[in-house]
Amino acid sequence: MILAIPLLAVLAALWCAIPRAGRAAPAVTVLAAIAVLSLSIRLLWTLSGGGTLTVIRGWVELNSLAALLLTLIALVYATAALFSWGYLASDATSESRIRLYHANFNLFAFSMLSIPMLNEIGLVWIFVELTSLLSILLVSFAISADALEAAWKYMVLTLLGATIAVLGVLVLYWALHATGSTEFTWDGLHAAAARMPHALLGFAFVLLLVGYGAKIGLVPLHTWLPDAHSQAPSPVCAMLSGIETSVILYVVLRLRNVFAGDPSLHVGAWFVVLGLISVGAAALLLTQTQDYKRLFAFSTVEHMGIILTAAGLLTPAGDVAAVWQLLAHSATKSLCFYAAGVTLIATGTRDIAAIRGLLGTSRFAAAALLFGALAIGGAPPFAVFLSELAILRAGLLAHAYVLVALLAFFIVVAFFGLLWHVTNMVAGPPESEPRRRRIPLTCAWALLLAALPVVILGVWLPQGLAQALESAARVLGAA
Amino acid sequence: MSLLSELNALALGLFIISTIAMTVTRQIGACIQIFVVQSLLLAASAFLLGASTPSWHLIALGCVTVIGKAISIPWLLRALVPSEIHRTRELSQTIDAPTALLAALGLTLLGYAFGAHIVGAAPNLSSGNVSMGIAALLVGLLLLAVRIEAVPQLLGILAMENGAFLAGIAIAPDFPLIAELAIAFDVLLLGFIVALLTRAAYRRIGTTEVGGLSALRERIK
Amino acid sequence: MALSIALNVSQLAFVLLLSPLFAGILARCKEIVQSKRGPSLLQPYRDLRKLFGKDERVPQDSSWIFRATPYVVFVVPLIVTLLIPVLTDFPLFLAFAGDMLAAGFIFAISGFFFTLAAIDGGNPYGAMGASRTRMVGFLAEPVIIVVLFTVSFVANSTIPYIVQQHWVHPIANFFSPSHILLLIAFFMIILAETGKLPVDNPSGHFELAMIDESKVLEFSGRGAALIKYGGYMKFTVLAVVFLNVLLTPWGLAQAGSPADVALAVMAVALKIVALSLGIVIVESSFAKLRLFRIAEFLGAAFVVSVTAMVTQLLRL
Repeated sequence: MILAIPLLAVLAALWCAIPRAGRAAPAVTVLAAIAVLSLSIRLLWTLSGGGTLTVIRGWVELNSLAALLLTLIALVYATAALFSWGYLASDATSESRIRLYHANFNLFAFSMLSIPMLNEIGLVWIFVELTSLLSILLVSFAISADALEAAWKYMVLTLLGATIAVLGVLVLYWALHATGSTEFTWDGLHAAAARMPHALLGFAFVLLLVGYGAKIGLVPLHTWLPDAHSQAPSPVCAMLSGIETSVILYVVLRLRNVFAGDPSLHVGAWFVVLGLISVGAAALLLTQTQDYKRLFAFSTVEHMGIILTAAGLLTPAGDVAAVWQLLAHSATKSLCFYAAGVTLIATGTRDIAAIRGLLGTSRFAAAALLFGALAIGGAPPFAVFLSELAILRAGLLAHAYVLVALLAFFIVVAFFGLLWHVTNMVAGPPESEPRRRRIPLTCAWALLLAALPVVILGVWLPQGLAQALESAARVLGAA
Repeated sequence: MSLLSELNALALGLFIISTIAMTVTRQIGACIQIFVVQSLLLAASAFLLGASTPSWHLIALGCVTVIGKAISIPWLLRALVPSEIHRTRELSQTIDAPTALLAALGLTLLGYAFGAHIVGAAPNLSSGNVSMGIAALLVGLLLLAVRIEAVPQLLGILAMENGAFLAGIAIAPDFPLIAELAIAFDVLLLGFIVALLTRAAYRRIGTTEVGGLSALRERIK
Repeated sequence: MALSIALNVSQLAFVLLLSPLFAGILARCKEIVQSKRGPSLLQPYRDLRKLFGKDERVPQDSSWIFRATPYVVFVVPLIVTLLIPVLTDFPLFLAFAGDMLAAGFIFAISGFFFTLAAIDGGNPYGAMGASRTRMVGFLAEPVIIVVLFTVSFVANSTIPYIVQQHWVHPIANFFSPSHILLLIAFFMIILAETGKLPVDNPSGHFELAMIDESKVLEFSGRGAALIKYGGYMKFTVLAVVFLNVLLTPWGLAQAGSPADVALAVMAVALKIVALSLGIVIVESSFAKLRLFRIAEFLGAAFVVSVTAMVTQLLRL
């Protein structure tokens, strides 16, 4: 039953690949995604109190954190599938390309759905690499020179990271072996971590942090991220920005405690420093950008940095806040890219300077964009506001005042950067004759559905979800 | 020193030489051939270690490497990448060959030193594999920085991966076989997707010097 | 003592008498590979006789260096012959006087004189050739040094008689990676130092493209003959070092009896012919590199030699 979650995505991909039957590809994808979503929510419901669900011992085991991740992925998968339907139709894409798109899209979703379910570190690495491989062709879907350049940079840097990470995985396995254990799972690693040789542990830590860090978009290795996340079709951007980076970050967070036990590695300090550099650089770059999709892409780098910083506190409160932020960011960022998508449909350009007075051109796109920018920037009463507040509070509880000050400063810079660009686009008189294009109905629906959790989580955290957050943070198990 | 470990050390030496050779070869065809040689040397090292341990895992990994990297990748590249690209000579490089050679040598020594340092933590294994694996990983990074042509960049990533596995067969000889198979599958998928991307780039942009593209960036106003 | 002197003389005689023959064999084989008949095997002897019989002309403003150089170039390979195992695998009379490093330095003397003489002659091609030879020399130098370091590292000695024994006792040493990589690097150095393709084209007649040959242009008569002869012997001596010390330390006379020495002459001659065939294959399958690519060729040799050292380190 649990295995049906990723398998449904594969089945949908197979369906889309069939030449004739592929006509219904968008509908099949949406249905599969909704089925996956309902299954995941049920799973989250059963696991929210804690405990582990073993499907295949040593290979597939789930806990509340995994279930939370699955639900997030499924949520974005579902809304992105819905959005794709109208988005591709608005572009007059040929039917065979639509089929291929959906086949690839489902496979991409499959690779991400598998990661939280897997327990074996080697397999996790394989699926991390698969998320890169299966999304390269989605990034280059437009086959324009820019899209190809973005896809190439994306390919080179993420696979480079994956290759460095594989050596890290192998070294970790070596370190595990040195302790006499062969259980290469999250739990097995945690249990053996204290007895592993220090040199190997340190080497594995550096390799894994660099390798997976490249895929999360941590700052010296972030250069591909704004390119790929701006050139891909908008629903793919939502998947890339909203969940792909989050899923890899989940892998890093779960690995954290293997290393955190060794005080000479300064894991917390690494996380905080890398996180703050990412937040700061992204917040400043964000003000310089001229493309509103890049704007949101930089915001992703910023949020990854925020989550990493929170996890670097190594306190339970920090962990809860980090998981919360992961949740809030995924839900909100997908919304932002849908808003960017409808803006692109309405105006036909990604250039911020070319869009003035969007309110007059397309009231819906303007509202969506403004809403997305406010929500992701951290304005109350939206989900990100509460989770960022939780992170700052966790920082204060840990007496990391400088950290909190820096983080708050960068968040404010990013907020004003976002708002400045977006208000420039939305307000004012339209510069040119508006080229009115109808926003496809499915796009609008996807946007509204994606907005629901953002609004709801901003004012009310359901009891079950709060419980799931707590137990998920316990899985990460700080101190 | 038994004969098997001497031969393994020879395979390691030739492995790093072939990795360095890929960094400076000027023809795509030759570059692919050197990559095949490098993969075969990885397989040879796996066979030799597998025979001396003895370990079926390593022998299987060697076979997977031969099939996946030495046969399938060149075949995929020949089938999917336009033949004009294969005939390209005089590839452009960001730094000239002698400098690249010296840098590669420096990285090799760095990899050696680092590997020796790491192996000290857990002896009783083919320490050469770890050192040369790390060295090949570093030289592969250099390759990615030196080359801007699509196919050599792909080969650079694969060469790095070969380096990682060269270290891997020594440090994790009983890594679960299912993972090995999946990794081999990943490599094939990688070759397929990148070959498609290269072809698309060649048709659309007219060049495969994709590493040199820089239209996407922030411009300071 | 007397035996030792006799053996030394026979080594000198071997180098002195057979070097032109080896050059003839190399030239002939190359022509045959290129589907030509080629000159007689004895052609180098005839060339030398002809040149010795001719008048010597010396440029008007040249100094004594120009006149002395042919003799230096001729004598240097013979001095090196005294230090290395040409026919015997036990040290002879003068072997104590120097190791492989010394052999390298002694060769450097002839290179030094040759360079000066080429400039001294006043011919612009001479100076050009000299500077190019120096470039090749400078680039080859680090490789030679690293090769010798590695040899001393592996065998704990640079004395050729000890090194030679190391590779085959035990035989596993022969297959050690550092040995095989050393061989590759040293072979590349022989190609570069004796002016073979792909570094230099020994049969080229186009002055602008020459490296080694252009330095000889101004010499005539006896001078030209001595330089040519010196070149033949340099190749033989380097081949002997490569074969007897590094590649195949077999077939040498173990005792001093005449039969042993005769067998050793045959064996060594055969080995040199085999090496010549290898060089023919290389020369026929590569085109001459552009001048600035030579740095890459020797860079490759350098990479190989350093790798030889690293693999030796790996075994420790």
